[in-house]
Amino acid sequence: MELFFQQLINGLTIGTIYALIALGYTMVYGIIQLINFAHGEVFMVGAYIGLTVIMFLGFTAAANLPLALLYLALILLISMIVCGLLGILIDQIAYRPIRNSPRLVALISAIGVSFVLQNVVMLIYGPQDKGLPQIFPDIKFIFGEVTITLMQILIFAVSLVLMVLLHFLVQNTQIGRAMRATAQDHKMARLVGINVNGIISLTFFIGSSMAAVGGVLFGLYYHTINFHDGYLAGLKAFTAAVLGGIGNIPGAMVGGILIGLAEGFGAGYISSEWKNVFAFVILVVILLLKPTGLFGERISDRA
Amino acid sequence: MHVDPRKMSWLGILFVVFVAGCGQQEPVIKIGVSGPFTGDQANVGLTVLRGAKLAVNQANLNGEVLPGYKLELVPIDDQHNPTQAVSAAKKFISDPQILGVVGHLNSSCTKPASQIYYNGRLAQITPASTNPDISKQGYDTFFRICATDDLQGPKAAQFAFNELAARKVFIIDDKTTYGKGITDEFKKAFAAMGGQVLGHQGITQGDKDFTPLLTNVRTLSPDLIFYGGLYPEASLIIKQAKDLNIKAPVMGGDGIYDVTLINLSTPQAAEGTYATMIGTDIRSLPQAQEFVKAYESEFGDIGSYSAYSYDAANILIQAIKMAQIPDREKVISVLRGGGTFPGILGQTKFDENGDTENEIVSVFRVRDGKWEHVRTV
Amino acid sequence: MSQIRLQRHWIYGLIIFLCFAIPFIDRSAYHQEVLTTAGIYILLALGLNIIVGYAGLLNLGYAAFFAIGAYTYASLNLAWHVPFWVAIPIAFVVTSIFGFLVGLPVLRVKGDYLAIVTLGFGEIVRIIFNNLEITGGPNGLLGIAHPTLFYPVWNNGLAWARLDFGVQSFPYYYLVLVFVIFVAYFSLRLDRSKLGRAWIAVREDEVAAGCMGIPVARVKLAAFAVGSSIAGIAGTIYAAKQGTVTPDSFDFILSVMILAMVVLGGLGSVFGVILGGLVLSILPELLREFSIYRMLIFGLVMILMMIFRPQGFLGNVRRKYELTSRRKYF
Repeated sequence: MELFFQQLINGLTIGTIYALIALGYTMVYGIIQLINFAHGEVFMVGAYIGLTVIMFLGFTAAANLPLALLYLALILLISMIVCGLLGILIDQIAYRPIRNSPRLVALISAIGVSFVLQNVVMLIYGPQDKGLPQIFPDIKFIFGEVTITLMQILIFAVSLVLMVLLHFLVQNTQIGRAMRATAQDHKMARLVGINVNGIISLTFFIGSSMAAVGGVLFGLYYHTINFHDGYLAGLKAFTAAVLGGIGNIPGAMVGGILIGLAEGFGAGYISSEWKNVFAFVILVVILLLKPTGLFGERISDRA
Repeated sequence: MHVDPRKMSWLGILFVVFVAGCGQQEPVIKIGVSGPFTGDQANVGLTVLRGAKLAVNQANLNGEVLPGYKLELVPIDDQHNPTQAVSAAKKFISDPQILGVVGHLNSSCTKPASQIYYNGRLAQITPASTNPDISKQGYDTFFRICATDDLQGPKAAQFAFNELAARKVFIIDDKTTYGKGITDEFKKAFAAMGGQVLGHQGITQGDKDFTPLLTNVRTLSPDLIFYGGLYPEASLIIKQAKDLNIKAPVMGGDGIYDVTLINLSTPQAAEGTYATMIGTDIRSLPQAQEFVKAYESEFGDIGSYSAYSYDAANILIQAIKMAQIPDREKVISVLRGGGTFPGILGQTKFDENGDTENEIVSVFRVRDGKWEHVRTV
Repeated sequence: MSQIRLQRHWIYGLIIFLCFAIPFIDRSAYHQEVLTTAGIYILLALGLNIIVGYAGLLNLGYAAFFAIGAYTYASLNLAWHVPFWVAIPIAFVVTSIFGFLVGLPVLRVKGDYLAIVTLGFGEIVRIIFNNLEITGGPNGLLGIAHPTLFYPVWNNGLAWARLDFGVQSFPYYYLVLVFVIFVAYFSLRLDRSKLGRAWIAVREDEVAAGCMGIPVARVKLAAFAVGSSIAGIAGTIYAAKQGTVTPDSFDFILSVMILAMVVLGGLGSVFGVILGGLVLSILPELLREFSIYRMLIFGLVMILMMIFRPQGFLGNVRRKYELTSRRKYF
């Protein structure tokens, strides 16, 4: 039984991170019907920004919990802003010029952006795994056979707060309403006076900063990051977004958690080496059987 | 479709540029070196490159290896990818100035490449590939200056059983030739001594999250976790095991013996990790002091295989000198001649399979954030 | 035959002759190696061209078919000593069956989703090859036999001598060249055939095509089957040439590279695809000193091409209009 709970916690942790990334995919697809292939790389960049901030400001193992939390807030803030801007930049350079072209063209451009980001990071930081210094004290909570680390609790807490905020933003504010309107119909939104391009940029900003948070937490949790981490995490997060219903924000959150759990339980109970296959199989099955996902919506059948 | 003059000129340009890129001839002799110089195992691969570089530089400074010829080193990266290794091997054999190769690092690369070197009649000395099967193929071009896994594995098992009093072990490997090889040898020897193997699972290289697997391992309460593989995954396993509150230490082979392991897994988590390493602690050998000084002044810290690569390159150089002419077959027959080659690791003598008769294995432990030599076994 | 056509045929003939002559003019083994590898990539690009260029079906997992072809020959050869020439038609059939099987469930899937599903398939295939014992795991399969050829010699009567292709690139160059010529010709004929026209119709507007009586499902499946079978042949040649197959040779990056060759050269244009293949195979070799920047440049080129010239080097005007205005399907 305790084995189950431990696997549950493992799965939830990684699932929450996937959920954060999935938000970006789902928001961007909802608004411009583009699979932002480069989104996974933004996640990876977020992790590296976190690393850079830690090294730059010389953070070291803080024995002091409140101080470490302060550090974390700072790192998250910086990373979110940088990646948010990066997201806007990507949109301006690589997607906006071909906004009206068919999907193949945009997809290839997105793949190109993905390669560029991966390789720029690789050239700057080197191809080896990079270790992140430990900034949190090594606190563990042990309940019999089940262990939860401080880091895991932090990941849950931060992600939950952000997701709630995002949901609030989209559902209850004016800006959120503008975003939902743009997602429904660009032309009409423009007609009622919404600055569509601005909303699109905002969407990229928010989505990318969510991914950045995921990246920083990922880096702090695993302690090593590599320029190649974005690809795999990105695909799994995309699966999560589709699972939840692409374009559906709560769906992306649920989808992320489900994928994380599937992976954790799959690796624990079935086999560790086939772990990645689970995610891909889920991806393929969903896209074939129920492309609208669990909370399906928004695939206005343009096909 | 009409004839497109642009297409013609494109093809023409490519053709011309290509033909113009042909190489030129120079009076040089060369030694090749290959390993993962870029990519995630670059830390280890570069130790091989640097050891060889130092050897070649020193040889050139000490006078001509063969009168009238300059000695050059040709490095080709294989990124621990067997296909690239095969490709590198083919490049080496097609360059007639290359008289020998130091390579490769990973057993999964050395094994397929060895066939190419055999077909191309080019001597190959591997500084680090420990899989025993490679020398059993009957290739007279293959030589090895490190001990093999059917030595390392059992000795690790002995150490674990006797010194660490381990009776229950869980084994993890990374499914490569090296990882599976060493864990299979360990498993056989450990079981033969009466130990119990609780389980044997594989992981994928490049993977990050081992918490599901380790959670299962924890419920089995092993005395020791034995890992066959390299330091990137090992460091994650060590860290995650500590986070899951697993008390058992992790032990591995020479693949995890690298300073980067301690950095990546954090010194606190790595404390008490054991690794076997082929040969003895370089720093303790009197004849190696000069090498250590020269290497550190040029490249910085000594790495896992710097000394091996250095010796391998020097043995090739000695063989070329003894052959007296730039001829690959002569180099091969000199190496096979059964002579002894002095080096910083001691005297190296190759047996009829190309294996070295040097059979020393050491055990190291992480203490206070550093690798510490425990003893030779 | 019209003047222009005659002229064109003379030029093709000349080019083909030159291609055959190259190894005798430039004897560098290294150059032959590069050209041979380029040839294999061109074969792959020609195959993908049928799926993506002709039929408009986005495929990001093409490397999987390459892998299936290679592993098919590898396992047949290692287990039952199946010779290369027998393996070629077998791999052809096996891969086209897989192509069919992949195409079947994705018939209803559209546009970018299709791309991601195929990506998923590609990764699943690679991971399977990486994890299974019988495919050798991450180290792959080794010791695959090279092709051998019997050729007649006059020795007081007709006798047969044996040529083992071995490890030099020379014989592989011709092998690949012959296949490239054959596949290119076959592609050109296909383009002008009924099936080819059906592909164009389905690509442009699936519903309308269906209304005109085109069996859309069958046409799409045909594209998958034919396109993937070419990868199977390329895979067999690759395995025979290398002597080893490892799963990490067949990753997503390879799929993207082949797609890039097709896109850069011009979707649907056989000559464009050959050109794209040559450029993307040879350029990295020429720029070896900059090899760490290779992927970076590659990514930049992709973005720029999509923004400024999505129809590729040799794409035609029709393509240009197709690719730069908002289409309903694609």
